[in-house]
Amino acid sequence: MKKLLLSALTLATAVTLWNCGGGEKKEGSSESTAVNTADFKGKTLNILCWEGYADPKFTKAFEEKYGVTVKGTYFGSSDELIAKLTAGGGDVYDIVTPSPDMAQALVERDLVQPIDLKKVAHYDSLADKLRSMQDVVKNGETYGVPFTWGPDYLVYNADVVKTEPKSWNEFLKPEYKGKIALWDDISSLYLAGMMLGYDKQDKGGLYKMNEQQLAEAKKKLMELKPQVRKYWVTAGELDNLMKNKEVVMAVGWPLTPATLKKEGMNVKGIIPQEGATGWIDRLMITKNTANKDLAMAWIDYITAPENMAKVAEVTNYSVANPGATRFLTPELQEVTQMNNTQYYFDKLNFWQYVKERKRYNEVWNEVKGGAI
Amino acid sequence: MKRLPASFWLLFAPLVLWMTAFLILPYVRVLTQSFYTVDDFGLLQPGFSLDSYSRFFSGPLYYGTLWKTFTLSATVTLCCLLLSIPLAYYIAFKATRNKTLLYTLIILPLWVSYIVRAYAWKIILGEEGVLNSLLMYVGLTDAPISVLLYSDVSVVICMVHIYTPFVLMPIYTAFEQIPKALVEASKDLGANRFTTFRKVVFPLSLPGIIAGATFAFVLSLGDFLAPILLGGPNTLFISNIFQNMFGTSNDKPLGSAIGIILLVIVLVVLEMSARAEKRFSSLESGR
Repeated sequence: MKKLLLSALTLATAVTLWNCGGGEKKEGSSESTAVNTADFKGKTLNILCWEGYADPKFTKAFEEKYGVTVKGTYFGSSDELIAKLTAGGGDVYDIVTPSPDMAQALVERDLVQPIDLKKVAHYDSLADKLRSMQDVVKNGETYGVPFTWGPDYLVYNADVVKTEPKSWNEFLKPEYKGKIALWDDISSLYLAGMMLGYDKQDKGGLYKMNEQQLAEAKKKLMELKPQVRKYWVTAGELDNLMKNKEVVMAVGWPLTPATLKKEGMNVKGIIPQEGATGWIDRLMITKNTANKDLAMAWIDYITAPENMAKVAEVTNYSVANPGATRFLTPELQEVTQMNNTQYYFDKLNFWQYVKERKRYNEVWNEVKGGAI
Repeated sequence: MKRLPASFWLLFAPLVLWMTAFLILPYVRVLTQSFYTVDDFGLLQPGFSLDSYSRFFSGPLYYGTLWKTFTLSATVTLCCLLLSIPLAYYIAFKATRNKTLLYTLIILPLWVSYIVRAYAWKIILGEEGVLNSLLMYVGLTDAPISVLLYSDVSVVICMVHIYTPFVLMPIYTAFEQIPKALVEASKDLGANRFTTFRKVVFPLSLPGIIAGATFAFVLSLGDFLAPILLGGPNTLFISNIFQNMFGTSNDKPLGSAIGIILLVIVLVVLEMSARAEKRFSSLESGR
């Protein structure tokens, strides 16, 4: 029995390890010249994306229009994206939706291809701020179309925290000892960097801290540690922490106040005076796709205002097309900040590719491990 | 070598294939991968480098975490033993009518998913949870005890709960196998209950106790969910670092190296426990 169980365990571990392995890269040809939408019939569009980005609520109409199947494969972290994208020859997926901590790397690594913006009917109506970001531009060509975006809020329980927090430093107030939650992610290092003002000179400073700055950021996070109840892993976990009153202030996404407000809690999300980091997910076409035209058709379809509104309904994220606002309920406009985008664009420091990602992760683990 | 009949191969070929494909090859892969390096994008660069191993031993992050995992696993094992031995003793020797029922009650939680059981502890141990509410209601404390949840304490409690059946089962079996005549003889010769337990029952059940302890220790050493779900800001198990290497840092070589190091440790523990079991397993061993 013992042996059996152990071998079962080791087997499970081994299989997991094996699956984690990357595959060899194959070259595939993808160029086709004339677009004939009748050719799409029966094809499958494979989208590698964050959860909710290939929901039947908005894929169905597309499927019916072209007689195709849209298949979404979800990844839960940027590294899972890399693993899935590079495994199996890299020609499995047609579309990928990276966050800005990875988008630039995909462009530099030649894993995605330039997009002919003239073929995206709604491109010019997408928010200027989002279109103007240069991390997905190489040699004058654009590799990514903005899709969704959002802030990393300071979320707080307004029944307990009576006055609106002005600064991230309120996390350090003695009365909130053991009442704070941070995200279990290297983005907590960005937060520390922001508290230390490393983004003052250059907004990108948070994403390229040197060793000395990382040491300072670590010190900041160690200082914060006695205040922290839990480093949350999923948004649902944070909801529960707030709901059970285990924490009263946290780093979180708009989804959390939205969900908890529905349950009758007085929870708010704000951007303190130092600003906040934010993310923007793009639609990209993989280098080795065999369905380039179909992928283009998808980008064209999903960036239309009415379809973007559906994306906002499913995900509760802000979407890149301001035109979507008029299709949203006032309540949803509030949640997605689509009625107030300029304010957010001014205040948000969008994530960038962290070249020293491995080192960032190591420092973050050191913070969690408590080793100085 | 004697030629084996065809039927032998027919029976064993699937097993050999299975073990090769899903056990041996993956291990080989993990071992070779631990000598690779990665570029800054996280893609594997084949080669032979001891970099991952030297990184493991270069800073307290990795070996310190391993040591902490060790001590917490030992705590879990000890608690499991302290719970299991009296309980198994009671079921084996004292309980008469409800023996089967009691045993079933111990085994029953194994039918419930690990995650459900871990979440149950969140509800019990939280600041507004069942336990704190009760303590405050009866007036034992006037403020919730926050160290109960999201700390090493809650992780240990959860693991003890989950691994106790694994420890209890072999100990119970060992107790059951002790000939009642030996216990009676000990009492006839004037030993009291405690002496009988110390000199007769305990030594005879040692193989079961060792097997159970090994179970608890090895399983907690590799546990990943309890620290993630119930751990606090200071809880970091080696399996969490391991998951991080494969899940977010994309540093498979270092992850593999940690895996190999953990594997070696587990093998040593298993080997030691197998030897100890053998040593104490026979009535005639002169103990």
